[in-house]
Order: sequence, then C-alpha cells, then structure tokens
Amino acid sequence: MDQEELKNLKVDKSVDARAVACPGPLLAAKKAVRELESGQLMEVLSADSATKRDIPKWAQKKGHEYLGTIEESGFFRIYMKVK
Amino acid sequence: MTIALFSGSIDKLTGAGVLLAGAAADDMDVEVYVLIQGARAFLKDVAGDPAKLEMAENPHLKEEFLASLEKLKVMPWIEFFETAKELANVKIYVCGLAGKIWGGEEVSDFIDLVDDIVGIGEVITSLEESDIHLFI
Repeated sequence: MDQEELKNLKVDKSVDARAVACPGPLLAAKKAVRELESGQLMEVLSADSATKRDIPKWAQKKGHEYLGTIEESGFFRIYMKVK
Repeated sequence: MTIALFSGSIDKLTGAGVLLAGAAADDMDVEVYVLIQGARAFLKDVAGDPAKLEMAENPHLKEEFLASLEKLKVMPWIEFFETAKELANVKIYVCGLAGKIWGGEEVSDFIDLVDDIVGIGEVITSLEESDIHLFI
C-alpha cells in the first residue's frame, strides 16, 4: 500500500507502544492481535527504530499481512491485517 | 527451544528475559532450566530486589545499567518471564541441586513463575529433544 492508502485506513485497533523500547512494541502487538478477528486491521505506534523491521518480519512469519509503515515525527505507524 | 539459565547476573537475566519474550511472541514452546547462580535469582526473597542481584561483568556499571533500563522503560527481568508465560507455552524449571545450594528445597521457595524442581536427567532430555539450545 502507498502512504496515502495507509493514511486513509480505518484500523480496528491502535496499539500505542511509543513509550517502550524493544521488545516492548512486539510484545504489545502480540497481545493485541489476540483480541482481533481475521481480516481486522491493526496499527502499532512505536518510537523504536528496530520495531520498524521487527513487526513486519513477525507479521509475515505468523501469517498476518504487513501493509506498510508511515514515518511520523519521532515515531512509526506500522499497519497489518490479521490472518 | 531450551534455555539453560546458569547466570544470576542481572544483565544476563534481562537478556534472557528479552530472548524468552521474543520467542514467546513467536509462539515457540520454551523450557527454561535454571541452574546454579540462576536458581538464587528465582528465590522469593531475591527475585524482585535488584539490590540482591549483582552484575558479573563490569559490576561497577550496574547502577548505570539499571538507570538506562528505567529511562528506556524496559520492564524488569521478571516481567519478561511473566509476559513470556502469558503469551506461549513456557515452562521454568529449577535444577534440584541448584535450589538446594541456595536453600530452596521446595518449589514454594521460589517465585510463582517456577513450574517445578527437576533433576539433570530432565534437563538432558529436553536438550536432546529441542532444536534450539541457549546457554546463558
């Protein structure tokens, strides 16, 4: 998805993990995804640059669809669709 | 995955916790075998008190290490273990000999995260059956 499409997504769950370092955002994403159903959208907000690589890899491995990342001022919005 | 957790050094406990939590996020089954120095760290009267755990390497940097963790909002090592158990099939076993060295005879002498006290045979069997082994 391009940046415009990502910006227009209506997510079912937003996980704000900006306050914590790795592996906090990944653990928060893992916990949150259990509350969602197949096809629902989730965004993870993280200020940890390692998370930008970590969550897409984890999502792919677990069968979720990584949709893309928006870089904001000082943090990232990482989007995925739950399998 | 099997982790042989020998160390009771607070930095290594933190590192072990990070690895364990990452494995749990990946839905891996993990068995942690707590050996010698590690067993002391899991005692009820030690586990939650950073003052009772030293840093084996560069002990003079312990306060700096703890201050950095706090600044980065990294959870204490025990919470990584708790989170891992919450997320996946993670078992924590204390080596019977290691427990006795530090006065931990019963599973109730250790924090609730500990599932059981086991002998070396069980540790070896787990190592034989596991595809990933870590010694920390």
